[in-house]
This record gives sequence, structure tokens and C-alpha cells, in this order.
Amino acid sequence: METTMRQLLTTGSAIALAGCLVATATPALAKDITIQMAAPDWGPTRFMQEYANKTYKSPTGNNVTLAIDFIPWPSFYERVAASMASGEEKYQLVVSDSQWIGTFIEGGQFLKLNEYIDADPELASILQDVHPALTEAYATYPYKSDNIYGFPQMPDTKVTAYRTDLFCNEGEAAAFKAKFDKKLPCTYEDWESVDWDTWANIGEFFMRKAGDELAGETLTEDFFGIAFQAGKGYDFSSGQINAFIWQNGASIWDESDQPNAQAVGVVNSDKAVEGFQNYLDLLQYSPPVWKTGQMDIFQINDLYLQGKIAAIINWNALTAAAIDPDVSTVSDKTAYALPPGTVDENGDLVRWDNIGGQPFVLTTWNSDEVVQEALNVVKWWLTEDTQAAFAFNGGTAALQSVMNAPGYNEFKPWNRAHVELLPWQRDFWHVPEFFELLTQQQEEFDKAITGQKTAKEAMDSIAEFQQELLTEAGRIE
Amino acid sequence: MTNFLQWLMDPKRRGALLVTPAIVLLFVMNIFPLMWSFGLSFFHYKASSMKPPRFAGLYYYEKVLSDPVVWERFQTTAVIVTASVLMQMVIGFGLALLFAKKFPLRREIMMLVLTPMMLSFVAVGVFFKLFYEPTFGLLSQAMMYFTGEPFGLLATQAGAIFGIVFADAWMWSPFVMLLVLAGLVSVPDYLYEAAEVDRATPWQRFKTVTFPYVKGLLLLALLFRTIETFKLFDVVYIITNGGPGTSTETIAVYVYRVAFQFFKTSQSSALSYILLFVVIVLTNLYLYFVNRREREA
Repeated sequence: METTMRQLLTTGSAIALAGCLVATATPALAKDITIQMAAPDWGPTRFMQEYANKTYKSPTGNNVTLAIDFIPWPSFYERVAASMASGEEKYQLVVSDSQWIGTFIEGGQFLKLNEYIDADPELASILQDVHPALTEAYATYPYKSDNIYGFPQMPDTKVTAYRTDLFCNEGEAAAFKAKFDKKLPCTYEDWESVDWDTWANIGEFFMRKAGDELAGETLTEDFFGIAFQAGKGYDFSSGQINAFIWQNGASIWDESDQPNAQAVGVVNSDKAVEGFQNYLDLLQYSPPVWKTGQMDIFQINDLYLQGKIAAIINWNALTAAAIDPDVSTVSDKTAYALPPGTVDENGDLVRWDNIGGQPFVLTTWNSDEVVQEALNVVKWWLTEDTQAAFAFNGGTAALQSVMNAPGYNEFKPWNRAHVELLPWQRDFWHVPEFFELLTQQQEEFDKAITGQKTAKEAMDSIAEFQQELLTEAGRIE
Repeated sequence: MTNFLQWLMDPKRRGALLVTPAIVLLFVMNIFPLMWSFGLSFFHYKASSMKPPRFAGLYYYEKVLSDPVVWERFQTTAVIVTASVLMQMVIGFGLALLFAKKFPLRREIMMLVLTPMMLSFVAVGVFFKLFYEPTFGLLSQAMMYFTGEPFGLLATQAGAIFGIVFADAWMWSPFVMLLVLAGLVSVPDYLYEAAEVDRATPWQRFKTVTFPYVKGLLLLALLFRTIETFKLFDVVYIITNGGPGTSTETIAVYVYRVAFQFFKTSQSSALSYILLFVVIVLTNLYLYFVNRREREA
């Protein structure tokens, strides 16, 4: 039977009400248990806390409270890592970037969930319903193995946010057609066939100086064509460059094939270098901040929200702000679409990209009862009604049953792109050496972005570093 | 109990009693962690792992001292320290000479000049990051007025280093000014009057009267600012994050990465002790100069 989004939400309300009634009839032996969760401070986790406060009742009859420790994004990893390292054993649940899980699994802090899933048909059923791309990226260690360590808290992909007042303007469309003999994409369907060459054309086309005309109006300041992440911090260039490498038919070091997979010859293959060069070539159509290596995911979002860029590629969770009139000057003229792809040798458009978002995981130091209560919180979060409410309030669902329900794509304007992009998602490495690999790679990418090195020199340096580090760690023979 | 309190409050023990809390705090918050991390630098240990430490001897000291990346970061730090401290001394000294004289609104203007050193590092870092931003930053807007093109100061190694040096000097020149000013106002007026009677030129007055009075405080400012700038982290991390590439990555930023991003606890401890050694050498150099000056006097 087909479930509509309205039915899901109605069912959710009924379950919440029933939960309240059950709770009032709880026996006197009910325990007070607090599940402390470390989480980044942003919309998806704020919603989780508010919704838990309103609706969550433990099925065991205990008085379970979900208490989220909201940590600002810039210091999130350091705070979580410090807590894990200190032995304070404060958290029962942790929202973790998928890349970190190897560090804390090897460190003994994250709990393997297979035996709990095997023993709990409800949990097993949820895992079956979670999109496989999310399970593979968020939960498995070693990467792509059968060992499960987490469930999705906030799935994320990169989408295109673009200005409909420009892309659907007849005069601009005619000028674009005249210049490139191509259609300026206006609708979602138009964007489905956009490749990186057309993205470059769009970038070049919309680069305007103060005093130039844009959609019939005279500009008072410079306007820029396109932007995607090119920042030195964290993974704020790798997250995009990996897409170019994968789409170009190249690879990053394959941790699922240890110890045979090599870095040298793979990471710096001709195709990988070519993919990176394609990325670099597009930067010239971005706001000048790219020249400083600081065009990160927050910067491009801010500039788009200020109305300075025609189109950006960024994470759903961030671009969602573009339609919020409280923070965006372009809230009434923004639409969302698929990001560009690369035409492969068969003539098909491939869209491999680096997955974003985070799983939440359990820690190892809890009693059986607390583990069970933490798993109940996981199950509550991944019920259809909670996921539907999450999606309705701006999040993205992890369950296939929810994202395939009629009406889901209309909940939020980025949902359609997000669902279509999930099968194209791959992930970074999950090994504990992740941060060293990433930091050196980000530094080398930044040198190429800021003109200190060529694409080839940067990729050679990355490959050599990875080969040495991973050989020393026993991951390459 | 009463006897114990009487014994404790005995005037003979009162001094020890008063300093005990400070000593305990110092031991718990400073000395113990220092000794602990010093010990860890001789073991294989990662704070992110629950595995117990294994003895490593001098392995991490050898590793750190033979690592070309560490020397590169030391060089970057040396360039930033030299340029920044020099700029702070020159500007701070100039401001002190200015404020040593009396003029209308002197106190109010001095308050404004002192404001930067009262701000937090993070506030200064964010302020300068936005100031240098090439799309909408004030600096770029001002340059566009002349060149018509956006200006990205942080796009080159030299520009990024200058950006950091300028921000640090903006923040800390007032500190140098305060110290030097304390020396300048302590010069007795009769010395200047005597110099005037002797028809000393302004340069001779400065060299023989003013400078000897401020020399000690200037050295103190030099020491404080060298040590502090050597540890420069916040401003660099916020303004450039060590970029472009690794052009502005100071040794303090590198230690942070090794310690809290790579979680190589032993290696970062060894590197921190080498840093501490450098700071101790700098301090002793200062003490040597101060002592020599006292002997000469």
C-alpha cells in the first residue's frame, strides 16, 4: 500500500499521542535515564532535540530524556575528540562525520552494533530501509564491510542553488543562446543535462562588472557567475575535488582493498590530475576570494545569500538558508537542481560525488540498559513519522520508504535532487589516519588553487605522502 | 578541632597557609600537566586511543628534529616574529613619544589607541579576515577605487604574512607603547633642562637622556612580545588557517594540528618541549642583557 506524506505525518501524531498515554500509565519502577548526545549546533540537531522533547517516550516505560550537547561546528571535532580521549565517558550517542569513525572505533570508543541489530528485528528492518549509500558511508568500518557502527542522523548531498530571475530571464537566455548556442537552464529538467562545460559557460556568462546590465538592471557592484567549495579548512575543497576525480574515471586510495591498494599511480594518475585541472579551470568564474584559498562552504553560501553569485553548488543543509527570507536576499528567486556531471565514454552523464551529512553512533561504556535506551532513541529517530516530520521541517530523510513516498519531493525544493543524487555518493577514507591524509591533501590542493603548484605537482605530492604514511601504518604493502 | 584551628592560624604558619592555595593550584593546573606531558613525550601514546603508553625513549625528539616540515614551520614563525615584533617596537615607540607630550584630548585618544590590546584574539582575527576579504572587504573596496580590480591580500605568501603581521602589530603595539611610556614619564625634567643648557641636539638628548631610561623597558617589551608572537596561534588560524598552502602555518598552529587533529600526543609533546626550550633560551638571553646592563651601571 502506498503511503503518502500526509498519512505519515498523521500517523506520527497519533503515535506521539499514544506514547503520551502509555507514559502516564508507566509503573512506579520506571527509571530516569538521560541519553547525552554530542552534536553540531545547527538546524537538523536542534529539530531533533525539539521533536524529542515533544514526542519521545521510551517503549520500556523508563523516563528517558534525550539531552543534546550542542557544539559549534568549527570546534566540533576537537570537542568530541577531547571528550573521547579524556575518558570522561560523558556521551551515550555521538553525531560523527563518517570519516572519523575509524579513529574512534580503533580507539575503542564507538560500539559495534551488529549483535544488537541481529537480535532486534525492528532495528534490522530499519537498517534494510536506510538507503544503502548511507549505510555504506555512515556505518561501515572497515569501509564497505559488514560491520555496522551507526545510523544516519542527517544525510546530506551537494545540490545546485540558482537564481531563477536570471536563469529564466528571456533576455539572458537569448544572450546565452547567442553566445554558446546552448539553452540557459531554467527548470529542474533543464539542469539534468548540464555538464561541467556548460557550468563553465554559465560561469563566464554571468561574470559582470559594476555598471554592466544583469537581467535588465544596471549593477552597482561586481557580480559573479558560479562557485563551489575551494577552501583550505577541513575538507572544504576535497569534498568537491573528489567529485571531479571520480567523475573523470580516477580514484582516491581505496581503503577497502588494503593492503594491495596503492596510492602512487592511483591518486596521481593522469585521469585524476585531469579531473583536478578541470576543477581548477572553473575557479576563474567565482568571486575573487577563491584566490586566497578561503572560498569554503560557508563563504559561498554567504555570498549567494547576499545576491552576488548566479549559481552555487553546496550542501543541502547549508543552501536551505537561501529560501529563508530572514537571512537571504534571494529567497524568492532561488530554485534547486542537480549539480553538473561529466559525460563518460558511453555518452552518459555521471554524477559521482562525495557524500556529506553525519551518522550517529553509540559509545562503548554504557550498561546494557542504557545501550537499549540509546538504541530506542535511534529507532525513534528512524521511524517513518519522525523522518517525515524531519523532512517536512527542512531535513532530509534517510529511509527509502519516506523518500519514495508520494509528495516527499514537494516537501522541500531540494528533496528531488537529493533523492536522485544518493546513488551517486561515495565517501572519504574512514581509517584513523584520515585527518593526516586530509590535512596534507587540503594543503596541496590549496597550493594549486592559489597558484603555488600545478595540478600535477600537487597530486604527485599527495600520492607520495599517502604512500609513505599508509605504508608506515601497515595499510599498504 | 579548635586546637587544630589554633595551631593552623598561628602567626608562624600564616604565611605558608596563605600561599598554599596558589601553590596547589599552580601544581594541579600547570606543573603536573607539564610533567605528565613531558613523560608522554618519551612514550608511544595517542590520546584518541585507549591503548596504554609504550616506552619510546628519545624517538619522538629525533623524529621532530629531523622532520623538514617542523623546520619549515620554524622558519615561517621566525619571519612572522621578526617582522611583527619589529613593527610593534617601532610603532609602539613612536606612539609613546607622541603620548609623552601633552596635547588636547590626549587621554581620550590614548584610550582609543589602547583598545586593540583589550580585544580578544578571536575578535581581532575575525575582524581582519573580513577586512581583507576580497569580494566585500574594506581593503579590497578601497583598492578597487584606484585599480578597478578586487584585491586579495591573502592570495600570496608575502601578502598573507604581511596581513598577519599587520593584525598582530595593530593589536600589540599599544602594549609596547604603554611600557615605553612608563619609562619616558620617569625621566626627570631637570635632565632635559641640563641638556638644553648644554645645547644638546634633539638626537643627543634622545641618545643620552631618554633612551637610557627606556632601554630596560624596551628590552622587556621585546622579550614579552617575542615570546608571545612565537606562540602566535589564534590570529593565524582565523585569518589564513595557515594558508595559502602552508605559507603562514606557524609552529604553534602545527603543534595544534599534530596534537588535536592527528592526535599524535607523544610527538606533539616532544615538539612542545622543544618550543619551551626555545622560549627559555630567549628569556635567558634577556636576563643576560639585563644583568650586563646592571653590571655596566
